Amino acid sequence: MSSYINKPNPGLTVYAWVFIFVLYAPMLLIPLFSFNESIYLIFPIEAFTLNWYLELSDTAPMWDALWNSVRVGLISAVISTALGVFAAKAITRYRIPGKGPIVSFMMLPLVVPGIIFAVAILIFMNRLGIPLSLVTVTLGHLVICIPFAIATLIPRFEGFDPSLEEASADLGENGWWTFWRVTVPMVMPGIFASLMLTFTISFDEFIMAFFLTGTDMTLPMYIWGQLRFPQRLPGVLALSSIIILISFVMVFLSLWLAKFGLQDDQKGAGA
Amino acid sequence: MDVVDNLNAVKNGELSRRKFNKSLLAMGIGLLTVPYTQRRALAAAEDQATYFTWGGYDIPELFTSYEGKNGSLPNFATFGGSEEALTKMRAGFVVDVAHPCNQGVPRWIKSGLFQPLDTTRLSNWSDVMPDLYNIEGNVVDGKPYMAPMDWGQTSVTYRTDLFEVEGEESWGMLWDERYKGRLGSLASGGDAWWCGAIYSGVDFENIDSDDAFAKIGETMRKQRPLIRVYTDDTTSLQQALASGELAAAMTWNETATALKGEGIPAAFAKPKEGALTWVCGVMMHKDAPNVDRAYEVVDSLISPETGKFLIGDYGYGHSNIKSFEAFSDDELTDKGLSREPADILNAGHYQVPQTQEWETRMNNEFEQIKAGF
Amino acid sequence: MADTTIAQTQAASTKPSVDLIKTTGFLASLLQRYEILRGYSLLAPALVFMALGILVPFGILITMSFWTPAGFEFNTDFSLKNYQDAAERPIYGALVTRSLWISGAATLITVMFCYPMAYYVAFYVHRNKMLWLILMTLPFWTSYLLRVFAWKIILGYDGLINSSLSGMGLIEQPLEFLLYSQTAVVITLTHAWAAFAILPIYVSLEKIDRSLLEAATDLGDGPWTRFFRVTLPLSLPGVMAASMLIFIPTVGDFITPALMGGPDGMMIGNLIQLQFGRANNWPMGSTLAIVMMLSVGAAALVMYLMTEFLKRRVA
Repeated sequence: MSSYINKPNPGLTVYAWVFIFVLYAPMLLIPLFSFNESIYLIFPIEAFTLNWYLELSDTAPMWDALWNSVRVGLISAVISTALGVFAAKAITRYRIPGKGPIVSFMMLPLVVPGIIFAVAILIFMNRLGIPLSLVTVTLGHLVICIPFAIATLIPRFEGFDPSLEEASADLGENGWWTFWRVTVPMVMPGIFASLMLTFTISFDEFIMAFFLTGTDMTLPMYIWGQLRFPQRLPGVLALSSIIILISFVMVFLSLWLAKFGLQDDQKGAGA
Repeated sequence: MDVVDNLNAVKNGELSRRKFNKSLLAMGIGLLTVPYTQRRALAAAEDQATYFTWGGYDIPELFTSYEGKNGSLPNFATFGGSEEALTKMRAGFVVDVAHPCNQGVPRWIKSGLFQPLDTTRLSNWSDVMPDLYNIEGNVVDGKPYMAPMDWGQTSVTYRTDLFEVEGEESWGMLWDERYKGRLGSLASGGDAWWCGAIYSGVDFENIDSDDAFAKIGETMRKQRPLIRVYTDDTTSLQQALASGELAAAMTWNETATALKGEGIPAAFAKPKEGALTWVCGVMMHKDAPNVDRAYEVVDSLISPETGKFLIGDYGYGHSNIKSFEAFSDDELTDKGLSREPADILNAGHYQVPQTQEWETRMNNEFEQIKAGF
Repeated sequence: MADTTIAQTQAASTKPSVDLIKTTGFLASLLQRYEILRGYSLLAPALVFMALGILVPFGILITMSFWTPAGFEFNTDFSLKNYQDAAERPIYGALVTRSLWISGAATLITVMFCYPMAYYVAFYVHRNKMLWLILMTLPFWTSYLLRVFAWKIILGYDGLINSSLSGMGLIEQPLEFLLYSQTAVVITLTHAWAAFAILPIYVSLEKIDRSLLEAATDLGDGPWTRFFRVTLPLSLPGVMAASMLIFIPTVGDFITPALMGGPDGMMIGNLIQLQFGRANNWPMGSTLAIVMMLSVGAAALVMYLMTEFLKRRVA
């Protein structure tokens, strides 16, 4: 490591903290207003109340929407990551004629505006006579999640030595066994990253859901519907504050857990 | 995207790989076996009727009698606009009960997706005001398709402290140059175009003529530079009126009611040209999977309990005459309502149903104007 | 990279002494063909799904763009009327241009603000890099719609910015262009897509071989020259990836313009959504979707070629 690169740069450090502040400012207003008595999100804050939280238990449709979103998110994440693992392995480990065009084709949803897919899939479902439901939303989400999963997993597969797999095969393990015992553990961080990313995408996805939901709404759709009457907005804020809190706790908990296995950061950064 | 992954590798290292692997596998299997059924499946949600409506009508307050009988709320699907709803149903989305408005009724009937109502199955029907279901195109062969539920006006809500009314209240308030950039409007042509027609003095009977299109178009073009925001999300309009960002906006009844409820000085104007009036209600899908419960949804919505909530909290009129008993005349006047809906509805301008072609043309025209062309 | 190192150490420690089987010609070709087959079969589930999910809907979209609406149904006779309309009526072209503009501006600003941040994490953060990256992704776990609402509180007439500016006596009248304008759309998009810019840029910076920087220093380059001669050109792929990831999806956005844009902030996505909703003209909506996709593709290509050109000039 050369020394000049380690020299602290005060200007850049200040910039970084301002950046983080601006990034968080809008998000922090949500919990703030969830304790406000007025239904309007305007300053000054009128009076402190916990009512919106207490009323949360009464709003069954909101919890249903949350639950739907969690399910669609988890299922999209698991399926897209599973398909992504196979695809990434195929792409990195096998000589496949036409690999380049195939990969670019599968990456299309990354670079085509969501509304186009949403509309196209809606027409497709309509023509097939498939009723709109959470299944159609999940299918839509898979179309956007799979490319993300593949893009996340390919570098991970490229990052480890294929001879490990070969060795396992040579030791007489069958393909499936090798896959579970060698490949999957090796790419686990990639799988984890892919699951996180695809879940996040699906959980907050709006455009596909807008066109493809039936009776069961996802949370973003529910929130959109609530904009009709502002009386309902504070409840949504309260729910979102809880989600923010949970996600923070989860992330920091997992970071803290990971610390047990912490290796020297320096090595990671400088290698 | 391989960042997170690289770093995870550093952090996680070898540590919990096996354990993690195992739990992840278990989680995956567990998840994949979760069937796509409602969580309320525990309460046998499949047996409940599905009600397709605006967000905000999917609340327990409107279904006290339904909940009493069935122990659970109906299922809800919500939409942002009734045209969007019709599109979705035409695309094959089946519900039990949907929520259109008077102006769309003949087109909805024509779509062939709905069945006429057997009013003998509705215990509250005798209290429903006939004026509200005897609307154009609703009764076919003696049977109504739409059971009216809520009615009201589209008019101007303004901040009494920020907007100085010159003379009488009028639609001209939304064309007032003094408040350039402080005026808001509903984005949907289904409201705004008709209000423009009233202000331009176009008779609704002739609203489909080329002449009317030209005249209303000109009026709307004149208004466009004055408008700060066109939106269908009434929460935004209300927030903006509450914060003083807007001095006046085209809204439905509930905006003024809610603002006053929060102690903000606001009024719902009675424009001298007459407000735009509407009646909305519920129609039953021809393939309603759950007809018995569907009738209970309808009956619940036209019940006086529901009416009291709609009048009191949303400031809408209701179709059941008994709903009004809990309110004084002054309270009603203040909300722009009356015990005799005909007083309000006929004093204002009642939308005249139009063809699908007209709707398409009007929406495109209005969209162009909003975009500045 | 870090993981490679780990993987390699693991490989070194666990690699058994068994050598790879050397095969003869015939067996090799058989194995090779078998390998191709295996590769395809592994790829198949994702590929088949994506083919169904991309090709079929697109086929339908293209077909429908040649139809015309007829009341509630479609007239399925081949017609170019929609494309003709799209070309002739000024609103479509203008909205496409405006959408490209707004997205382009948002992309440029996002990348410019995020580059220093990614640079900071890549070169100046030595511990807890992961924490920093997660810190920058966390805000995006909150519902987008609510973040948009939060921006309204900040940018509004009586919002945080206006009240603090007037509190400091800097302005007499609230700044109205902050909300319900193209500015508002650009600000919201910039904020919403920050993570998508930081991650790819960070990766490309992290990948830069540090010895190149040392070499540049040894050759007498100051920090700025070093940055422009070595760091920036080497990180351009990441910048390019970030730009594409932000630019292309945002062109079709209709939520942000609907909530933040005001009359002048309307984008092509709003018009497409309208055709599938209120205006009830699905064929026209399909046509506009295709027109938009082609325009985005063209714009992205221009962006790509420009970066290539830039890279060559700098290098």
